[in-house]
Amino acid sequence: MDGLHSFENDKSSFWKKNSKAVPGRPSPKKEVQRISRTKTVGPASYHEFQASISDAWAVEDDDFCLTSGTKISKKVSQSAALNVLNVHRTFEAPVHHCENVNLSVQEKNVTHVKNKFPGRPRPLPSSTNTLDKNTESKLERFETLLANTPTIDELAQLSWSGVPQKVRPIIWRLLAGYLPINQERRQTILERKRQDYWNLVQQYYDTERDEASQDTYHQIHIDVPRMNPSVALFQQETVQKMFERILFIWAIRHPASGYVQGINDLVTPFFVVFLQEFIPNNEPFETFSLNTLHQDKLDIIEADSFWCLSKFLDAIQDNYVFAQLGIQQKVNQLKELIQRVDNNLHCHLMQHNIDYLQFSFRWLNNLLTRELPLRCTIRLWDTYLAEGDSFASFQLYVCAAFLLYWRDMLLLETDFQGLMLLLQNLPTQDWRSSNIDMVVAEAYRLKVMFADAPNHLQNNRNPR
Amino acid sequence: MAINSGNGKTHNFKVVLLGEGCVGKTSLVLRYVEDKFNSNHISTVQASFLSKKVNIEGNRINLAIWDTAGQEQFHALGPLYYRSSNGAVLVYDITDEKSFQRIKIWVKELRKMLGVDICLVIVGNKTDLESDRHVSLEEAESYAEKVGALHFQTSAKLNEGVEAMFYALTQKMLEKTLENETHNVSLAGQNSQSGNILVVDDEQTPSTTKHCCGSS
Repeated sequence: MDGLHSFENDKSSFWKKNSKAVPGRPSPKKEVQRISRTKTVGPASYHEFQASISDAWAVEDDDFCLTSGTKISKKVSQSAALNVLNVHRTFEAPVHHCENVNLSVQEKNVTHVKNKFPGRPRPLPSSTNTLDKNTESKLERFETLLANTPTIDELAQLSWSGVPQKVRPIIWRLLAGYLPINQERRQTILERKRQDYWNLVQQYYDTERDEASQDTYHQIHIDVPRMNPSVALFQQETVQKMFERILFIWAIRHPASGYVQGINDLVTPFFVVFLQEFIPNNEPFETFSLNTLHQDKLDIIEADSFWCLSKFLDAIQDNYVFAQLGIQQKVNQLKELIQRVDNNLHCHLMQHNIDYLQFSFRWLNNLLTRELPLRCTIRLWDTYLAEGDSFASFQLYVCAAFLLYWRDMLLLETDFQGLMLLLQNLPTQDWRSSNIDMVVAEAYRLKVMFADAPNHLQNNRNPR
Repeated sequence: MAINSGNGKTHNFKVVLLGEGCVGKTSLVLRYVEDKFNSNHISTVQASFLSKKVNIEGNRINLAIWDTAGQEQFHALGPLYYRSSNGAVLVYDITDEKSFQRIKIWVKELRKMLGVDICLVIVGNKTDLESDRHVSLEEAESYAEKVGALHFQTSAKLNEGVEAMFYALTQKMLEKTLENETHNVSLAGQNSQSGNILVVDDEQTPSTTKHCCGSS
C-alpha cells in the first residue's frame, strides 16, 4: 500500500477525514488511483509520512501546536491537509498558504493533475465564447428542437449556456414544468392554469382579508413601489398591481414562509421575459407602457409569471421559512467552499472580520438579482431553469464563482470598510451575458470538482 | 465627563439602524452619508453597509453604519448587526403607531443582549407628515428617557434633524469610550476588533483562526 492511501486509511491519524476522500478532489477514487499508480516513492505509513513533514512547522507555529495539542479539530486537520496538497498541485501559482508545509515527495507525482485544480478562479473558459457568437445557429437549434417533441433533458442541455430571447418565453415555461412538453396538451393546460390563477385572485385577493394576510398585503404593498426604482416600467401602476397580486397569492399559498422581502425581485425576470413576448419590434422593455397592451395579454403575463415563479421557488422554499435556515446553511457552505478553493481570499476576508453572512445572505435571498443588471439576471436564469431542481445547490457554486471573480479586487482592499463597501456594490453595471457565461462555467467546474466529495461542504459542528 | 481634545487617535464606532419596514432607515442614512433623498428607493434586503468620517472636537471618528432591513422575517438576523455595536438608531414613523411599538421590542432586546454598553437614540422620522401624526412627541420622549435613550425627530425628506441626531449619538458614543478608556478598558477596541471574530459561525477555536490568518 502506498503512502497516500495509508495515511488516509490510518484510523489513528488526525489527518484522516474519512475513508473516502480528501476534500477538494474532483473524483476522489479515480484520482487517488492515478496518483498511486504513478507514485514510486512515498512514505509507507502514517509515521513515515509524519516524519517526512516533521520540519513542516515554522518556529512561530509552535504556539499553534501547543495550544491545539491532540485536540486539533477535524476541520483544521482537513484544511491543513488540503493546503499541503494544494500547494503542490498549484505549484506555480503564487499561493501564500497559511501553513509552511513542505512535502517534496509528492511534487513530482502530482504534476500531471495540478492543472485541474484551480486554487483561484480562472474565468473565461474558451468554449463559452464561441457559443456566444453563434446565437443565430443556436436559435436554429432551439427551433428545430421545439418543432419536434424534445425531452426536458435535451432542452435543458441546450438552454444551460443561454437561451435566445426569441424562444426564451416558451423555453422558460417548458423548463419550469409549467408548460407540458406534449404539444397537443399545451393549449388546454395553459388555459386551465391561467384560469386557475384568476380564480385564486378572486378567492383571496379580491375578498376581505383577515389580519394575518392584511399584514402580508401591507408588506407587499410597501415593497412593490420600492422595487427597481430606476426602471420606468416598474413605476407604472398597472405593473405594480400585477406584482402585488402575484406576490400576495404566492404568499397565501405558502404559509410556511409567507412573503419575504426579496421575493419581489424574483418575479421580475419572469415578468420581463413574458412581457417581451408581446413587445413589438424589439422595443426596450424598460420604457414600455403597459397601457398599450390588450388586457388579455396582461392577464397571460401575470398568470404565467405567477406559475413559473411558484415552480421556480419550490426548489428553494427552505430559503424563506422562519429564520431562513436554508440560506444560513448555504452561507456556511459557501464559506467552506471558498476556504478550500481559495484560501488566500478566505483568510483575507477573515483577517478583516468580514462575515460571509453579511454579504452573501442577500446574494442567496435574492438569487443575485440585486448584484446584477436585469439582462444578466435573465441570462443567469436560463441556467438556473436548466438546472431544474438541482439549481438550489448549484446556486451555491454560482455565488462562489461570483465571489471568486472579484478576488483580485478584494485582495487589494485593506480594511473592513473597503471590503464591505466593495462586496455590497460590486461593479457589474457593464456586465453582459458573456460575464454570466464565465461565472456559470466556473460554477460548473466547482460543482464537478466537489460533487463527488460530499463531505467537503459539511459543517463540522462536532470536531473530534 | 468632558470630551478631551483630540489626541490623534481615530475612533471606530459601529452603528446599527433598526426599525419597522418603510419608516425611513435607509433614507436617514443616505441623507446623512451622501446628503441624498429619493422618496422611492429600493427596499433594503438584509442590511447594507455605509461609512462616514466625522470629527468631533479634534477626535477623528469613523462611523461604520449598518442599515438593516425592516421586515420582521429578518429580525432573527438582528444580532449579526447589533452585536458589538457602539450605538443603535431606532427609527419609527411618526404617522405609524405600530412602528413605535416595534421600537420597544428592539430596545428590550438590545438592553438584554448588550446592557448599557450601547448608546441608543430613538428617532421619530417623517416630521414632514406632521398632519398625519399618530405618535405623540411627549409619549416618545418620556419613553426614551425611561430607557436611557436620546430622542430626536427628523425628516430625511426635508433634511431636518438628521445631522444633529447622528452628531448627538456620536458624541455620546465618544463620551462613553473615553470614559471607559480612563478605566483602562477599551470597549471600542474590543467591539470593533476581537468582537467580530466571534461572528464567524464556526467551531474553530480562536487560536487556530488566528494562526490561519496571522501567518498569511
